[in-house]
Amino acid sequence: MNLLILTLAVPLIAAALGGFVGSRRFKEIVMVGGLALTFILCLLTAFEFLGGTVPSAFEEALRVDGLSALVLVLCGFVGVLSGVYGVGYLRRNEARKLVTPRMRSEFFGLIPAYVFAMLLVSVSNNLGVLWIAVELTTLASVFLITFHDKDTSLEAGWKFLVLGSLGLAFALLGTVLLYASGRGFLGEGMARLNWTRFIEAAPSLHPFTLRLGVMFALIGYGTKAGLAPMHTWKPDAYREAPSPAGVLMAVGMLNGALYCVLRIHLISKAALGPAFSGDLLLGLGLLSVLIATPFILVQWNLKRLLAYSSIEHVGIMAVGFGLGTEAAVFGALLHMTYHSLAKPVTFFSAGTLAQLHSSSNFDRIGNGTFTRAPVASGLLVLGSLIVMGSPPFGIFFSEMTILRAGFSGPHVAVTAVFLAALVVLFCGFAYQIGRLVLGPPRDPSDRRVPAPERLDISTSTAIVAAMVAVVSAFYLPAWLLALIHAASAVVGGGV
Amino acid sequence: MATSDLLILCAAGMLVSAFLMVGQRALFTTIRLYGVQSLFLGVVAAVIALSEDRHELLVTAVITVALKAVLIPWYLMRIIDRIGIHREIEPFLNVPASLMVCLGLTVVGYRVSTGFPQGGRAASHHLIGVALSMLLIGMFLMVTRKKAITQILALLTVENAVFLVAVGVTPGMPLVVELGIAFDVIVAVLLLGILVQRIVDRFESMDISRLSKLKG
Repeated sequence: MNLLILTLAVPLIAAALGGFVGSRRFKEIVMVGGLALTFILCLLTAFEFLGGTVPSAFEEALRVDGLSALVLVLCGFVGVLSGVYGVGYLRRNEARKLVTPRMRSEFFGLIPAYVFAMLLVSVSNNLGVLWIAVELTTLASVFLITFHDKDTSLEAGWKFLVLGSLGLAFALLGTVLLYASGRGFLGEGMARLNWTRFIEAAPSLHPFTLRLGVMFALIGYGTKAGLAPMHTWKPDAYREAPSPAGVLMAVGMLNGALYCVLRIHLISKAALGPAFSGDLLLGLGLLSVLIATPFILVQWNLKRLLAYSSIEHVGIMAVGFGLGTEAAVFGALLHMTYHSLAKPVTFFSAGTLAQLHSSSNFDRIGNGTFTRAPVASGLLVLGSLIVMGSPPFGIFFSEMTILRAGFSGPHVAVTAVFLAALVVLFCGFAYQIGRLVLGPPRDPSDRRVPAPERLDISTSTAIVAAMVAVVSAFYLPAWLLALIHAASAVVGGGV
Repeated sequence: MATSDLLILCAAGMLVSAFLMVGQRALFTTIRLYGVQSLFLGVVAAVIALSEDRHELLVTAVITVALKAVLIPWYLMRIIDRIGIHREIEPFLNVPASLMVCLGLTVVGYRVSTGFPQGGRAASHHLIGVALSMLLIGMFLMVTRKKAITQILALLTVENAVFLVAVGVTPGMPLVVELGIAFDVIVAVLLLGILVQRIVDRFESMDISRLSKLKG
């Protein structure tokens, strides 16, 4: 049986089982086992690619090249982490009698389904299938956002679905226009929507139609990636979604949506030259970084803080891809990798703090969390240091790579603004986290005592994630580095 | 050129229905207008399928009519019946001003459509012009209306515009992709409907301008 199809089938089966049958214990085993197996299969698929074959299925509608392999592996990794953390997360809520059977089914069904949809995004070569897969991620995540069924989560879910659907309508129009620009050069059958066909036929595509299509598709998929100014759903959704779903959005969905953006960018680059979509990406990326800055400085909610940090990071990657030189693209892909490894730590520790205090608002959590929840607070500080980009961790180096590429190219002024924004963001994030964790301890007369911190499954997962993130700063396995190089070969040019 | 006249007529019908949706405040009528618009889209697909011998487009036509002219309107009407809210409240912009704006948007849509290559079909130009205008009108409807149901209809109008481009200027999407898209659209409408009902249960209104707690 085709390894690629198996990789996609496992999370889908896990979703069906988790959503519809079995006791709580059974659902937990299915989700953790299914997602762990999925991660192993993702790795095997990537190794098959590194071994020299190109895994593909259904007339190359699904096809794994370097970029797909990298996104696939990162998504599988965060999938299994979020699955294990999710089991602990739900158990904590069960202990507080917050979980109904309906919520249990939604949770154990939708998390693997979401992972499935994101894996499908990362291996789609057919632009039609790609669109369908992205829409599936939206549909799978809506009820994760409204999971807690509060006023605010309904609001966040509604905004997410309406804005997401509008973005996807744009992306569909973009896809249709790209297809129209082919004017019969793309061949017959299902394969005529294949990305590889577009790249082959790039010189004969109709320029005006293509330009319009690229613009719509970039805006559409950019909405899903959370690039400013289409980012407004992100803080709401991140705040309301349970942390295990939040981390899937912040890593898996972000990478997946960037994957779509890159596919479109590459078609445009092959047909119209690097300037058109490259400059668009550069502009959107810079705008994202700039918009994130004030909101991080005045933020009042921990999870929203993480959302704006995620908008910042997607902006950094877009800037790297927009600069377009070999070094900048490599830096952006390195950034994607390190970001995916580090982000779960911040989400997991923030999620634990929020659960202990029944809220993620800064004023409800209160200052000086270190005295109340030392493990989660310590992990939050560590994760934040990595995510902010402080040396010696990976994100520092990937940001440096992008900055150096920027200063040695034609976009020096843009890079200077970008650097200034990064410095402010660094200080802002450090200020917020420092205030939360270290500040003066809470007034002892305050009677809202949080539950004590326990070393349960979720906390252990966070510790493991932190270890991975720290180790990755000093040692990236050779195969992962090979995947990043293969991906940057795809984005830098050539198929 | 009877076929091309028929195509232009149907496209014009879609545009007119979009305009009527902007001018309409009774929700039932707005939903019916959306149904009529989808019916026109189905006819466009069927006419192209028959006149150019592209039989896979007939499938598109059947899906469009069954899904968007019958099933989705029926579902939305059922929701309205259950929650008992029948009229759109005063929009952010009054009706005459809205219509003027939409007129301007139509001009913009047609202007952009002149950049497309002259295809083999005489009506292609009009189809793109109408589609781009509807896209803009749909987005306009989305930002100026307050009721959740109207927002869904605006979204669906945008969707119809995209499909008009798809049948009007491409050699037809592959069938598998077409079916996948149709499936996704219907699930999206289903979820939107469920969400509207939950919002009404919670806020006792489907006025989405009340959804404004999340800021910063």
